[in-house]
Amino acid sequence: MTAVQIIDDLVARPGEGKALLDAYMADYAPGARARGMVLDRVLVSPPLWMDDQPNTLTIVWNVEGAAGWWGMRLAAGADPSATAFWETAGARLVSRARRFAAAPEDVETLCNG
Amino acid sequence: MAKFTALITLQPGADRAAFARNIGDTTLAQPTLPGVFDGGDLILHRQVANEAVPSDAAIAHIDSAVYEPIGGGAHEPGLRNGVYRCLLLAVKPGTPEATVRQFESETLAMPHYIGTIRNWRLSRVTKASGARVWTHVWEQEYADIGGLLGPYMTNPYHWARVDRWFDPECPEWIVDTRLCHSFCAFERSVLNP
Repeated sequence: MTAVQIIDDLVARPGEGKALLDAYMADYAPGARARGMVLDRVLVSPPLWMDDQPNTLTIVWNVEGAAGWWGMRLAAGADPSATAFWETAGARLVSRARRFAAAPEDVETLCNG
Repeated sequence: MAKFTALITLQPGADRAAFARNIGDTTLAQPTLPGVFDGGDLILHRQVANEAVPSDAAIAHIDSAVYEPIGGGAHEPGLRNGVYRCLLLAVKPGTPEATVRQFESETLAMPHYIGTIRNWRLSRVTKASGARVWTHVWEQEYADIGGLLGPYMTNPYHWARVDRWFDPECPEWIVDTRLCHSFCAFERSVLNP
């Protein structure tokens, strides 16, 4: 099976980076794990908590191939807490992006099923 | 030229095949295949904007649209004995026009990446009824059901690119989560006969 990464890039309002990450881990991560997502890593940029400028949090999850991705997606669709978290988190966010990626050596496998 | 599609849900126990046979002048009137999602029991399609559906006590619900094509193409005109798939979707009111156009453009690029889509058409709805005020109809034809349930679903262009418009967890989300995903077998191509 081929690993697919689900990457959340969160740009926190100044002074909100640590609280945003704490909320993500407390209120979002347990549901994500229940939907089959496996936490790969969390990065904080720059690597200090700033009170007057935005921190960017990069949170990387893994799922297994397209089947794992759809499993996650359909489970999230049936779980109102997934979207509820993003609505609540909006107050601490400047912006965010969610991206889906894989290692270059896995691209052909993913494209050819 | 305007088109019309209706996804007809029948009362429990109604004879789908008999209803389809008696529905009158249509381009397509076929029972849906297993796996549809809010896709009804029958797909009725006309190449003209005749939205009349015979009144029948067997009908429980109809999702339908009259629509004008904005793009499409054919890799296999004249396809026979394939599978027709229809997605009715509703873009959220207030979505900026430029965003809608980007969504449409990316959707129309799906056949470039997903080879099992043999013929396709994307349309804007001019008259809708049913569970939502449908704004778009995304139709495709496949040589067989495997092309829809396999590569269409598993190709990364679908789930890692286009799906973000449909996903409430993505900031780009614009499409109401209530969709009609329906498909049926056909003898002669609906989109490019």
